[in-house]
Amino acid sequence: MKYVFFSLILTLLLFQGCTAKNELPLQANLHEKTLNTDQTAIHTNTIKNCTTCKDNTNEFEDEFGDETENIIDPLSGYNRVMTSFNDKAIVYVLNPVSEAYATILPQPLRIGISNFLHNIQFPIRLTNNILQGKFQNSSDELERFIVNSTVGLGGLMDPAETYMNIPAHDEDFGQTLGHYGIGSGFHIVLPFFGPSNVRDLVGLSVDGYASPTVYIENIEKYKIPNNIDQSIGILSAEFVNKNSLHLGEYESLKKDAIDLYPFLRDTYEQKRVTQIAE
Amino acid sequence: MLKKVIILLLLSAISLYAIEEHKIKPLMDAKVKKVLLVLKNKSLSQKQKEKKSIGVMDGIFDYHTMAKISMGKRWKTLTANEKKQFTKAFEKKLKYSYIDKLRLYKNQKVIIKDVKKVKPTRITFETQVIGLDGTYKVIYLFYKNKHNNQWFIYDVNLVGVSIVQTYRKQFASFLKTKSFKQLLKSL
Repeated sequence: MKYVFFSLILTLLLFQGCTAKNELPLQANLHEKTLNTDQTAIHTNTIKNCTTCKDNTNEFEDEFGDETENIIDPLSGYNRVMTSFNDKAIVYVLNPVSEAYATILPQPLRIGISNFLHNIQFPIRLTNNILQGKFQNSSDELERFIVNSTVGLGGLMDPAETYMNIPAHDEDFGQTLGHYGIGSGFHIVLPFFGPSNVRDLVGLSVDGYASPTVYIENIEKYKIPNNIDQSIGILSAEFVNKNSLHLGEYESLKKDAIDLYPFLRDTYEQKRVTQIAE
Repeated sequence: MLKKVIILLLLSAISLYAIEEHKIKPLMDAKVKKVLLVLKNKSLSQKQKEKKSIGVMDGIFDYHTMAKISMGKRWKTLTANEKKQFTKAFEKKLKYSYIDKLRLYKNQKVIIKDVKKVKPTRITFETQVIGLDGTYKVIYLFYKNKHNNQWFIYDVNLVGVSIVQTYRKQFASFLKTKSFKQLLKSL
């Protein structure tokens, strides 16, 4: 009996040796030869030939949910028209303006403006982080605001992120509502702002109170603009500045769409779900 | 004695399994770095860069599964030939889209974050692209193929948007009013 066990262990050890031998070069290969396309080609072929495999399918179907599910979209007619309006506004107005703007202002300056505008919107992020009970993030935001407003030359630079590794935590009231389980409601495409929904529209209006760049009557002494026109001016400058840092991205994204409106709607809603979950 | 045998058996099984899984991080690390090197190489033309970066990433993408998921329930109703045609067209579309995104690359830094095992058969590989005015999360999603125990990418998540899910929704709504042939054409 002992002999049998002995031989068993011996064979096992031998096999272990075999696998180890096979594994070692594999591991060594990793660093140099992982990019060997021949190897990877074999890898794919095994998959392609496997057209009859039934495994994993149901798993994926569960993971991705019902794709034929009808989305409640009572405003789809209006939304489609507004999507094509926004599309034309981006292609024929925003992009040419941003391109001209980008040739006048050097990129570091445009990044500075973007940092500055992001920095002064700090009340929105702080309030919403607190409202969602994210206290670490709130203290990060507070620290960022103090560091960037002083060392970062009034917010033009972002030393908090670059040198101190304190990331920004973008939260808005739409996300706060979502955090407490409020559904998105139906989809609404806003002129110029693009895709939104009932919940986020409410969020946007509430955040307007916290934002120093949005003019609201009676509380104008807490705000930078003195009237609506100035508020719109700041907003347009923000749009153009932001777009000048993202030229070509909208066009590239558009190419992935089979039908633009549902594509933008779905990507927006998916993105919001992820942002709320974070 | 028997205990020892069992332990040995278990150990050998674990080590075999783990190697395949642990491959993901160094492999993806190397691949991402290689693509960045290709993109930064000034002696290559745009076309060469595209071809090379596609070549680097190709083997780990399971286009067949991606096509299948994106088709959803309709997949079962397709003939073998249709499935083949669709997979081919979808692969082309994905590659074209990937190439188009590469054109936007302007020396942004890419940070490789961690590999997470979310389920026994699912692993996510997270990277962060540092843009001009913010960071963008790009997550590669791996699944374990039950047939060969290898891990393959079945989806990529860009700033919270799943590419395959987006196509899945688009195809489903397209097929509500139009035929499969029209879909193939539009790809």
